[in-house]
Amino acid sequence: MGCGLGKSKQQMQKCDKVNLSVPASIAIRAAVLIQRWYRRYVARLEIRRRCTWNIFQSIEYAGQQDQIKLYNFFVFLMQHFTPASSERNLISHIFHDDPRHGAQLETFHCYESIEVSNSYTGPRLTFPLTFCGVSKLVETFKHRQKLHARYVLQLLGETAKLLRILANINHVSTSYTKEITICGDLHGHLEDLLLIFYKNGLPSGEKPYVFNGDFVDRGKNSLEILLILFGFLLVYPHDVHLNRGNHEDHIVNLRYGFTKEVLGKYRVHGKKILKLLKKIFCWLPLATVIDHKVLVVHGGISDATDLDTIARVDRHKYVSALRPPSRTKIKNRSDVTADGPVTRRRRVCSLTHDRCVPPQRYELQCRSLQNLPTSSWTEEEEMRRRGVTGAEPRWSYSDLDPDVHDWKQIVDMLWSDPMPQNGCIHNEVRGGGCYWGPDVTEEVLGRHGLQLLIRSHECKQDGYEFCHNRRVLTIFSASNYYEVGSNRGAYIKLGPDLVPHVVQYQASQTCRELSLRQSVGWTERSALQALREQLFVHTSHLIAAFQEFDPNHTGMVSLRDWASATESVLKLGLPWRVLRPQLVSSTCSGMVDYQQWIRELTITKPNLEISDTSILETMYKNHSNLETIFRIIDTDHSGSISLEEFRQTWKLLCSHIQTEISDDAIDDLAKCIDFNKDGSIDINEFMEAFRLVDLSTGPKVTE
Amino acid sequence: MGHLHLQCVDPSVLSVRPPCLCLSAMAPKKKEEPKPAPAAPKPPEPERPKTPVFDPATVTLEFTAEQIEDFKDAFQLFDRTPASEMKITYAQCGDLVRALGQNPTNAEIMYVLGKPKAEDMQTKMLDFEQFLPVHQHICKAKDRGTYEDFVEGLRVFDKEGNGTVMGAELRHVLATLGEKMREDEVEQLMQNQEDTNGCINYEAFVKYIMAT
Repeated sequence: MGCGLGKSKQQMQKCDKVNLSVPASIAIRAAVLIQRWYRRYVARLEIRRRCTWNIFQSIEYAGQQDQIKLYNFFVFLMQHFTPASSERNLISHIFHDDPRHGAQLETFHCYESIEVSNSYTGPRLTFPLTFCGVSKLVETFKHRQKLHARYVLQLLGETAKLLRILANINHVSTSYTKEITICGDLHGHLEDLLLIFYKNGLPSGEKPYVFNGDFVDRGKNSLEILLILFGFLLVYPHDVHLNRGNHEDHIVNLRYGFTKEVLGKYRVHGKKILKLLKKIFCWLPLATVIDHKVLVVHGGISDATDLDTIARVDRHKYVSALRPPSRTKIKNRSDVTADGPVTRRRRVCSLTHDRCVPPQRYELQCRSLQNLPTSSWTEEEEMRRRGVTGAEPRWSYSDLDPDVHDWKQIVDMLWSDPMPQNGCIHNEVRGGGCYWGPDVTEEVLGRHGLQLLIRSHECKQDGYEFCHNRRVLTIFSASNYYEVGSNRGAYIKLGPDLVPHVVQYQASQTCRELSLRQSVGWTERSALQALREQLFVHTSHLIAAFQEFDPNHTGMVSLRDWASATESVLKLGLPWRVLRPQLVSSTCSGMVDYQQWIRELTITKPNLEISDTSILETMYKNHSNLETIFRIIDTDHSGSISLEEFRQTWKLLCSHIQTEISDDAIDDLAKCIDFNKDGSIDINEFMEAFRLVDLSTGPKVTE
Repeated sequence: MGHLHLQCVDPSVLSVRPPCLCLSAMAPKKKEEPKPAPAAPKPPEPERPKTPVFDPATVTLEFTAEQIEDFKDAFQLFDRTPASEMKITYAQCGDLVRALGQNPTNAEIMYVLGKPKAEDMQTKMLDFEQFLPVHQHICKAKDRGTYEDFVEGLRVFDKEGNGTVMGAELRHVLATLGEKMREDEVEQLMQNQEDTNGCINYEAFVKYIMAT
């Protein structure tokens, strides 16, 4: 590679052409100097971006594990409380569907009784919906206006009717002129959908689209996105294809914000809307196949994936992927939960666990949070329970329950993630689906005569990512997913040659484009704040961990021990030493004053002053779960629960996480949260209690 | 809806960063190295300076244990191997060294990697033990370029001597001379730096770049 004088001669010639006022040699030296500093600058930004990314992803995955734990908590309740118990009644409704068939038709026509007053200035949709109607809808939402509940329900009703006649797998073909556009997760980011339409054009007969699931949750405009997508589906049923994602699931929605969004926007009719959506979600098709060669599915595959099976399942029976269709024997988990020391950092991007988990075939497992002994259902109990709900078919109680087999396939399609190594192992982080390797990709694609798998489900910094020798393509369409500037979104254009072309974008709310440095800084600040909050809620565990490394009570630990202790408590798999300058303000000769550090972390506090601070941490750690529980308990979606219900819930949660709580403490807590002292707790009051207040800037809140 | 940042990307070229190599004989001074034993007399070749080969075994590691722990953490961040084997590609080496605060030229990176071929950059790997001497060597480099050097470098283009350089001229220089930058790299560097007349106050510019 050595280049002697020849190259520099070339450069000198170039200099002449440029007509520089300086000697060429000096100009070149100057250029090289600037260039090397530039490359350093870019590399420094990149490592910060990577760290930030790691932080967001690991906190997100930790949060998802929370969701699974929550679900297991409910299962635990179902197993341990008698039918007469009032606690069980609080939550049993999420496990059962309304068995009356007639109720379905009712819901489709429930809009008819709703009147639209003259003061309503939004669009008055007529059905069958036309292109005019749906473009009016897009305009309405672009201008942040609301669609009247009547039309919402009518549109949803029409959608439900249409979806029921669609097959489980959409089959699409690219004709000679048509390119298909494939979009990934949108998660309520209306700006991104509008940006895609702006850049790529609206869906039509000439412009077919596939939307690959996760339309809702997290973002603020999930309902608007649904209405737009369903609108286009109604107008162009042969050219718009929707795949179900793992967030098209009413239980997941309780936790991740969609339920809240609907109830907030439609206070009177929200409940009806949610009920209809619950049906619609389970009628969404599961996958799309393009030209018999490209499989598009939200999560992915497993080694058991069989499209013929998927094609013939009764997909609408699986209302929530988190809930198996019938009760199976609960196995005792004796293997995976060994909490050995983390020797290598778990990298979120590949999600390989460094614990000694032998690769195992996917098993139906019901994982209890604390490894509590779980009893198995007897057939008697099963029949009794089914007797309560009515007309469900009786299953033979064997391990080879066909329904369960089908259910596994669906969960795999909606929840799985690819991994770099060969094999197929249970997806522990998500709690459902699996991790599948390149060998499984080859085998499954080969078996079905396919050449490419397009999936979504994971946020990627560039909006897309190839893996498994470019046989798997992840596409993610919600830009700025974690934070403004965190990632781009992308969509795929697929022509008859079936070569995917990726188009990237980033929705930006500010008029001026953020420079790379600014967007890295912004996102980084946000990530660090989230991380500090996580550290704060684990204060007592952190102190205990540090003290183990500090037997002489000097108050100091080495950097290495600091990193090790922090990881053992938070278990986020983060590069603590790289983050250390941002988290710990000062060190003395390689030692961290951990007491001081903990004090610094508590500069932010929840907006709640109660006398018993010991339960504060527990409560803060579990507040998302508590919110979800409240929403479930609040069966009439009124937005508030009684103090008595609050007490019961809190006690149940505490017994499950094995924490001691006195009745007095709970009452104290309840009184604190009931800000307006009316004997009931408003869910918003509850959330307000957990808003972190930065005491360092504002006036101190005194007792 | 505000400013939209749109970009069409052909994914097939994205995974490989085009090597931006330009080993100019005008590059900063070579490092002093123990020269290899003189070779046997060769047949006359076209005039070419004899460049010594980097030998990692000759490098004494002077890092502290704490520093090494820090490097290990950062190294792990770059490790993309399926089984967390603590290995990075040759192509990542330069990025890592720079991420840790050094600012070598591409030529220096290629030198310490033993002047690999372009196709090796993505395939050959370094483990942590092999990385340390590479990093140490670069850390010991004499002429790293200080703030003043950097400002002087830019002052070269300050025709009017008023503390500013023409953005357009700088762009051209960076894209055509030295270890050329790509257009998008130049764009990123200069983003929001030029005033309404297209001029850049270079002292502020340097402070900005060095502050990361």
